[in-house]
Amino acid sequence: MTAREAQGRGASASTDESAGEPRPAQRAEGERSRELEARLRRILDERYHHRHPFNVRLHGGRCTPDEVRRWIRNRYYYQTRIPIKDGLILTKSEDQGFRRGWIRRIRDHDGDEARTGGLELWLRLAEAAGLERGEVASLRGVLPGVRRACDAYVEFVARQDLLASVASSLTELAAGPFLAERAAAFRKHYRWIEEAGLAYFVSRTTQAPRDAEEGVAYVLANAKTPADQDRCTAALERKCEILWALLDGVEWGGRAPRLAAAALLREEADGGVVVLPERAVRVSPSGREILALCDGARSVESVAGALREHHPENGSVERDVYDFVERMQGLGVLALAETGK
Amino acid sequence: MTEEERPRRDVWNLVAELTYRCPLRCPYCSNPLALREFPEALAADDWARVFREAAALGAVHVGLTGGEPTTRRDLGEIVRSAAGAGLYTHLVTAGLPIDAAGLRALRDAGLRSVQVSVQDAEATTSDEVAGTACFSKKLAFAREVRALALPLTLNVVLHRRNLDRVRELIALARALDADRLELANTQYQGWALANRAALMPTREQLELAARVVAEERARAGRPEILFVLPDYFRDRPKPCMGGWARTHVVVTPDGRVLPCHGAAELPLEFWSVRERTLGACWREAPGMNAFRGEGWMQEPCRSCPERSRDFGGCRCQAFALVGDAAATDPACSLSPRHALVSAARDAPPASGWRYRTM
Repeated sequence: MTAREAQGRGASASTDESAGEPRPAQRAEGERSRELEARLRRILDERYHHRHPFNVRLHGGRCTPDEVRRWIRNRYYYQTRIPIKDGLILTKSEDQGFRRGWIRRIRDHDGDEARTGGLELWLRLAEAAGLERGEVASLRGVLPGVRRACDAYVEFVARQDLLASVASSLTELAAGPFLAERAAAFRKHYRWIEEAGLAYFVSRTTQAPRDAEEGVAYVLANAKTPADQDRCTAALERKCEILWALLDGVEWGGRAPRLAAAALLREEADGGVVVLPERAVRVSPSGREILALCDGARSVESVAGALREHHPENGSVERDVYDFVERMQGLGVLALAETGK
Repeated sequence: MTEEERPRRDVWNLVAELTYRCPLRCPYCSNPLALREFPEALAADDWARVFREAAALGAVHVGLTGGEPTTRRDLGEIVRSAAGAGLYTHLVTAGLPIDAAGLRALRDAGLRSVQVSVQDAEATTSDEVAGTACFSKKLAFAREVRALALPLTLNVVLHRRNLDRVRELIALARALDADRLELANTQYQGWALANRAALMPTREQLELAARVVAEERARAGRPEILFVLPDYFRDRPKPCMGGWARTHVVVTPDGRVLPCHGAAELPLEFWSVRERTLGACWREAPGMNAFRGEGWMQEPCRSCPERSRDFGGCRCQAFALVGDAAATDPACSLSPRHALVSAARDAPPASGWRYRTM
């Protein structure tokens, strides 16, 4: 069942859609909803983290056991932020019905007398992958980039109104099939993780579509003006960025870039040129600054951290560093070594 | 050679053809058919001057090629002067006659990276294409390159007879610990044009090879695999040399300065570093300026929105097939003479080929 039908039964149930031709106002409203939903889905298609290189490798079976464990350990921090974020959303609503529905999400993650919650299921995944439960739960090993991305999500929801907060949760729209694919990928490629460890993915394949249905119905019913709709799409884009940054943190954290053996860096007045066999890559002064820090000892995280200190005025400096390192790796300029962290 | 951004210097890359001599006889050699070793081939001192002048024009990289550059006894001196001029020195070799000691000497002289060619994934067929028994020597040399921790590019020219073994070629590159694998589809210039009917692959072969490359690229980081569909099988021409006399300069064994390997066969006036500086030959020779920019273009190139992306394709191919070096490259489906390419592509294959001779 689609979110469109959910809206028909739920939020706009007061209009009887079976009673002949809709009035022009209703038709306009239906049109507006369809457009908004299409925009939201397009954002997910283009920016959801299913396209992130790390996720593509994870689902393609190309991650090493250490990489899978790093992802599990770090992603747990995100899991712990979800009930806190949902608690913030609850405080924004005056509607008992809304709160009664939304509070179920907190129980889904924290568990209750009747069932085991998502946080516990994630720790079981960690154990099945050979990690120590207490170590993961302590959050001590969480990479700084991952921590920042997850904290940014909580801060974002704290600042937004109810509508934009709910809109930011609509990544759930893509999560159902995505998690089914993930469970299948783990069964196929990472057989060293026992089936019992996959219970989180399995439980979310049914929870996520239900959450998404409710969330999208709320957003479509309440984003009435073009400005509201733009705030909703912007909120979803921001959430996609946060999930993407989380995986950047997992992908790059703990890896130390260095100039590739084949590469020769020439310093020039307007930046630098990296020369490789049959290839030359021009880098800007800031690119040269990043390359100078890539010494094979500093992790990408600490390179990004150093750049942040040098350029506090640039709000996207860490993302720029990750993008630059990724591009330079693709061009053969940088090689990445595991630091074992 | 590719650049991430538009060039802001005269020259990026010098292609130094040190000799036409070669122990191999590959039937797709890009050297001109009517070549001879000029007795007055540039001496090591001449090359040293060329390297300094190239660096002054902005060049950062030199491909030391030929023919077979390691047939020159003074190659160590040449490498030393190129490295001394600040150029990144990249040796393009068949892997013979040079040996391990020779390679160490070049490394000590400042050599930075090595490309070794093989003709196929196993000895019998590889040697058959090379026209001489050399496959095991090539592999031994490639291992020496990695043993000295020099970056290794493995190069294979692809055609009808080896295109079905792309997976084996990738496995060979992995076994040799190559950094890059150039799967270079034959470009029909020089000897390759004369042997076109025997070399031309089928579309099915190319599509299968492209699928294999995509699968293998997804597998792991090394080696980087370079593979592009040949222009005969695409609707648009290749952006030959990144544009005529725009980023690459070729100096032939006898000192002529060209925009590409094949341009010597065009009816144009090029100059020689024997008489003038490299800068003068690059900037002012009539042949170098013949196809710079877009003013020389005819329709359909002149008004084509893609002209700044592919520069109208390859001038040498236009001349060889259409007879007019200023014509649209007939590999482009918009060319009125495109049938010259599509007919050759779809023609029945020939069984034999002519080996390169001097």
